Amino acid sequence: MKQYSKILMQPRWLAVIAVALFLLVFPFGVTGYMLRFLTFVFMWVILAGSINMVTGYTGYLDFGHIVFFGIGAYVTGVLMVNFALPFFVSMFAGCLVALAVGLGVGVPSMRLRGAYFAIAMLAFAEAVKQIVLEAKSVTRGGLGLSLPVYADYYFFYYVMCLAVASTVVVTYWIERSEFGYALRAIRGSEVAAGVSGVNTLKYKLAAFGLSAFFAGMAGGIYAYWMTFIYPSDVFNIAMTVQMVVMMFLGGSGTLVGPIIGAFILTTISEILWARFIYLYMIILGIVVMVIVLVMPHGIVGLLKRVRGLKWLSSKPKK
Amino acid sequence: MIEQILLDGILIGGIYAAFAVGFSLVFGVINVVNLAHGEFIMLGSFITYWLFQLYHVEPFLTIPVSFGILFVLGYYLQKYLINPIVDAELMTLLLTFGLMMVIANIALTVWTPDYRSVEAAYVGMNFPFMGLTVSFVRLVTFVAAIVIIVGLTMFLQKTDVGRAIRATAQNRERAILLGINSGRIYSLTFAIGAALAGVAGSLLSLNFVIFAAMGSEYLLFCFCITVLGGMGYIPGALLGGMLLGVINSVCTYYLTVGMMYVIVFIILFIILVVRPTGLFGKGRME
Repeated sequence: MKQYSKILMQPRWLAVIAVALFLLVFPFGVTGYMLRFLTFVFMWVILAGSINMVTGYTGYLDFGHIVFFGIGAYVTGVLMVNFALPFFVSMFAGCLVALAVGLGVGVPSMRLRGAYFAIAMLAFAEAVKQIVLEAKSVTRGGLGLSLPVYADYYFFYYVMCLAVASTVVVTYWIERSEFGYALRAIRGSEVAAGVSGVNTLKYKLAAFGLSAFFAGMAGGIYAYWMTFIYPSDVFNIAMTVQMVVMMFLGGSGTLVGPIIGAFILTTISEILWARFIYLYMIILGIVVMVIVLVMPHGIVGLLKRVRGLKWLSSKPKK
Repeated sequence: MIEQILLDGILIGGIYAAFAVGFSLVFGVINVVNLAHGEFIMLGSFITYWLFQLYHVEPFLTIPVSFGILFVLGYYLQKYLINPIVDAELMTLLLTFGLMMVIANIALTVWTPDYRSVEAAYVGMNFPFMGLTVSFVRLVTFVAAIVIIVGLTMFLQKTDVGRAIRATAQNRERAILLGINSGRIYSLTFAIGAALAGVAGSLLSLNFVIFAAMGSEYLLFCFCITVLGGMGYIPGALLGGMLLGVINSVCTYYLTVGMMYVIVFIILFIILVVRPTGLFGKGRME
């Protein structure tokens, strides 16, 4: 017991507790707009965090990651509308389907490296989107799917918040566990990792499945929250773009990187998106190029150079 | 009927091949998957469109202009942005991706998302041939595309610069030892790739409607064609293009446009996984 209290008194745990308490009481005393905005930020934290699990830790750039978000959204929607199942059951089913699809598509596609993997996943995501558009009897195609309306924004705030917490906990576990070491070994050199006795396919697939699971979760909550989904919205390639940029901006392969990236980009997008969508996309493109050329380790990489903030990323990249 | 569909597919395939040949060249030599290639095609189309619209320049005569402008653009983009990180594959992928977003959205801001078409007098003209209908413009663009691909192959085979490009693609270290400036060769290759995209864009503007956001769609076509033909294998682009053209017109006729995309993407995925060196096995694979 004494040990636990000692651990909890460390600055980083105090910070975690403070943030948790803050988020818990935050909804009371803010406008509906702020609440909605923060729920959006949470959604992006989950999405950026989920792509980080596969791309950040193993180095496999997934350009089709949005497919799992879309699958989560549509499975949740179809189960709630056509089978009248309760939300949490449908959402969990959505996560599991996303996980299963991730494992299923990962077995062939994760044999590819680099650009080949990225293109294959992009093709896969587009194919699934078109299938959802064509399967009108189940999904209503391009007309979109209307879910039962549930307009309690506190509910969605806390659900999204819980999903963020689970994403962060899993990422924290990846950072600290042997599993995470294996993933980083794969990122460093897949051949060397394989020779050292790491079953690379198994570990890559596990990371991919996990990331699909969380993206599916975000999709499920999004569907019920928005009450209306359509294929070109939940399978929008531009969302994959955002996730990738958030992850690299914050710092890929770190715990807090995607969180920082999601906060910054969602804020910028909130200001610019509605009125200046093209300007927003131009800025996004410039941010990508600057990250690549100037700060490949993202904001966390910059902060790490500041003394005293080393804990932000518990493992140095190289 | 089926003959007509096949003919249309093959003629369209010529333009598709022109889209992909520069993409394939850049991948083969520099090992960069240029995600901005679709935007270069878009720029080529708009160059032709504006020259025709504002100054009534004959569209086919704008091809050298597209070639020149995109050559210069490509050369400096490669020299200052891509060359510093050219060996980090994921980083180049992200960089060209950023480039794609910047170019596409600047075009959307300047030119708005409106659909446009080049309305030269001969667009829409047909002539009968052995019981089939042949579109004049499509036939001419098809021939132009073949000329481009043959010309590029000859250039790579017969000229000193072409040999230097091939040498660098095969073994960069040894090419450097032989006194080849690999950085310049890379810039030159990228410039040629971009210029060919510009030419393809000019040809395209006579056949289809053009709009500022069209780049990403054609980028996907480029992927399909190069993967079918073999990444980095130039003649493969021609066969891959025709194959995609035929798949395209057959699916559009017998199914829906949506199903056409499903089939194209599934084929792309399967080829990547089962035969990443392309149908002819001549593409490169790390």
